[in-house]
Amino acid sequence: MRRAVLTAALTVSTGVIAACSGAPSPAQISVSNGGCGSSWQLADPGWHTFQIHNAAAENADIDLVNPSSGAIYAEVEALGPGTTSPMRLNVGSGSYAFRCLFEDSEAITGPTVVVGGHARGTPAILPVTRNDLLVPARQYHDWVAAGLNTLASQADGLAAAVRTGNLGAARTAWLTAHLTYQRLGAAYDAFGDFGDEIDGGPDSQAGVHDPGWTGFHRLEYGLWHGQSAGQLTGVANKLVTDIRGLRASWPDQQIDLIDMGLRTHEILENALQFQLSGHDDYGSGTTLATTQANIDGTRELLTILRPLLAPRYAGLPAVYSWLDRLQALIGKERRPNGTWVSVSALSMSQRQRIDAACSQALEALAPIAAITEPRRT
Amino acid sequence: MPDTTDPGQPPSVPPESVPPRRAFLRGALSAGAAGAVGGAAAGYAYRATRPAPASQQALERAQAGVLAPVPFHGRYQAGILPKSQRQTAVISFNATADGRAELTDLFRTITARARFLTAGGTPPPAGIGAPPSDSGVLGPTVAPDGLTVTVAVGSTLFDDRYGLAAQRPARLKPMTAFPDDALDPAQCGGDLVLQLSAGNSDAVVYALRDIARHTRGGMQALWRIDGYTSPARPSGTVPRNMLGFMDGIANPDTSNRAQMDRLVWIQPGTAGEPAWTAGGSYLVVRLIRMLVEFWDRVDITEQENMIGRRRASGYPLDANSIGATPNFAADPTGATIPLTSHIRLANPRTAATADSRILRRGYTYDRGIDQVGNLDIGLIFTCFQQDLKRQFETVQTRLAGEPLTDYISPFGGGYFLALPGVVNGSDYLGRAMLA
Repeated sequence: MRRAVLTAALTVSTGVIAACSGAPSPAQISVSNGGCGSSWQLADPGWHTFQIHNAAAENADIDLVNPSSGAIYAEVEALGPGTTSPMRLNVGSGSYAFRCLFEDSEAITGPTVVVGGHARGTPAILPVTRNDLLVPARQYHDWVAAGLNTLASQADGLAAAVRTGNLGAARTAWLTAHLTYQRLGAAYDAFGDFGDEIDGGPDSQAGVHDPGWTGFHRLEYGLWHGQSAGQLTGVANKLVTDIRGLRASWPDQQIDLIDMGLRTHEILENALQFQLSGHDDYGSGTTLATTQANIDGTRELLTILRPLLAPRYAGLPAVYSWLDRLQALIGKERRPNGTWVSVSALSMSQRQRIDAACSQALEALAPIAAITEPRRT
Repeated sequence: MPDTTDPGQPPSVPPESVPPRRAFLRGALSAGAAGAVGGAAAGYAYRATRPAPASQQALERAQAGVLAPVPFHGRYQAGILPKSQRQTAVISFNATADGRAELTDLFRTITARARFLTAGGTPPPAGIGAPPSDSGVLGPTVAPDGLTVTVAVGSTLFDDRYGLAAQRPARLKPMTAFPDDALDPAQCGGDLVLQLSAGNSDAVVYALRDIARHTRGGMQALWRIDGYTSPARPSGTVPRNMLGFMDGIANPDTSNRAQMDRLVWIQPGTAGEPAWTAGGSYLVVRLIRMLVEFWDRVDITEQENMIGRRRASGYPLDANSIGATPNFAADPTGATIPLTSHIRLANPRTAATADSRILRRGYTYDRGIDQVGNLDIGLIFTCFQQDLKRQFETVQTRLAGEPLTDYISPFGGGYFLALPGVVNGSDYLGRAMLA
């Protein structure tokens, strides 16, 4: 891509390059249905701020693009009629044109300006389109569907163990099923009302005695606080019903295309907030295991999105190396017999290393949502 | 009653004869009334004839959020000698960097962020492929608002993790627990500590968010406390702490280079100190709760005897100006300034104790309320010195058991070594330590 940009720059630069005048004046770029930045110049490489004014009667997305590749240097999204917004970027050597996207009409691309030389500027990124995301969305949908099948049978086993009073087996089955659920990356209402029923906490006023509390955590509380099979059978049965309901509804659920990118950091945002903090530990002490399941879910999304990310995101190797480090640090705290240590039992330094790795992984993950946001072209 | 007296004409209560309570109150009332009249007259004349003093101008610039940048580069870190800024945050971190190379990256990153934050400027736009590059809290163009970033390291950084044991400063160790301390381990120590100070809290928090965001994998916060410095009341005096007394009156003169070389900066070739520490300074942070409700129920004479100064004026009990040197030699039995008073124990003003003086800075912290509804309020005590044992520990040992200990409770802090300064754009904090 870099080679293509340079070639274009060299070919066109002789005639089109703007004169290197003195101090750059704040450039006003006016866009309308009739034209997209019809006359503009770029004096020099370096930092520039364009004041983008929408003279049309409807919203517009304004991109500054490399017209030969379609890669976007900078954008102003949803610029309202009659409003002006700054667009700031570091202009390097290359081709630049404004592209205006008004609702319900084809993109309009304005004239191209070429900056010669070898200056490095804000890199352009090829936009990800809705089309680009359709296959990943289907893959993700299928992966969740398979996970829900597994979950449903594991929940059946869990409920059976509770019903028969085999609470030791129930505790083991609880963890297996809960991790399957958490691996699906059910962050931020991914599963709507089912999510609250299946994995919610108690009402904050009533606390753990909330009679309406149900789902995995209600069961966890009972299984690890000496409650009887009789007390928990109803809860286990309700969990089975809710998971079956979710599985039955899943084929009709659409994956919102913007969500996959968002989930790549939201899943671990939730892990840091609720698991590594110990907040969601209702007695089992397994929030490190939950975090591990959340890493698995994040990795699945990364795998699905990887063809889109690899050419667009230079920070992708750092994402993997920090996820690897986080996973290794969590793995170190697992007991030799496979059981888990609660975060509250970790030393300060153990906990800080885990929290630091998770936080750094989140920083590395954060750009993915912006990169994979579906954009019009 | 608001104290509107002119600093030149303080209400005075003769130290030698404490009147009975009723008479004392009458005296205070009449003195206060007279003082108020004098203060109003003085204020009028002052406004009519003179521009605001420098401290007032600085306050106004701070309130506008436009304090000038403090140059970052220099032989010493820039935040050590200046007087306490209006707002500060002290944040202790543990290093989570994996190995020496990552630790070096951490110090380089802190340096690079501090260099930008103290100079100000426009954060680069992130482009379409990332969230914004900064928090936006200071607007599109960052005004540093006088920000200083002071970085210091604790003794634990020199354990076996980073191969720094041989570089450990000779006098650096975990903070000593003194007899009247009630230390909470969760609020003590740390591998490194940052003190961020500026004219306004938003500039401080902006800097903290920025540095933390760029160092997530390299360090994790252990404890944090925010503080502020009160304006001098009345103007031209010395800021007060929450006991109502002026704090830090008798500091060494930071414009006196020879004195700073004797008391603050670690000198090249100091016996036992690794060479890299030259230009650094030992930093003591003590988080000290003040039991203000209890204190407010204490008679003014008892308060002043505990401190050794007048509450209203800041004068030593034996003198008539703030800056006067108390003459302890003339008062060997403590008849005027009790032998157990804070100023007498802290700084006996003798030739033998001159080299135990510290460069002392104080900030008020305010953390809400405790379990019985009392205010959790107190002092972030910081001091810089050349030698922990010769200075802070000696002073603190002299203070052991002082009457004031009933009204204060040290609960956290640590011993650190403030790194030598960053001399230019290619230097970084801790370079010589990590070399």
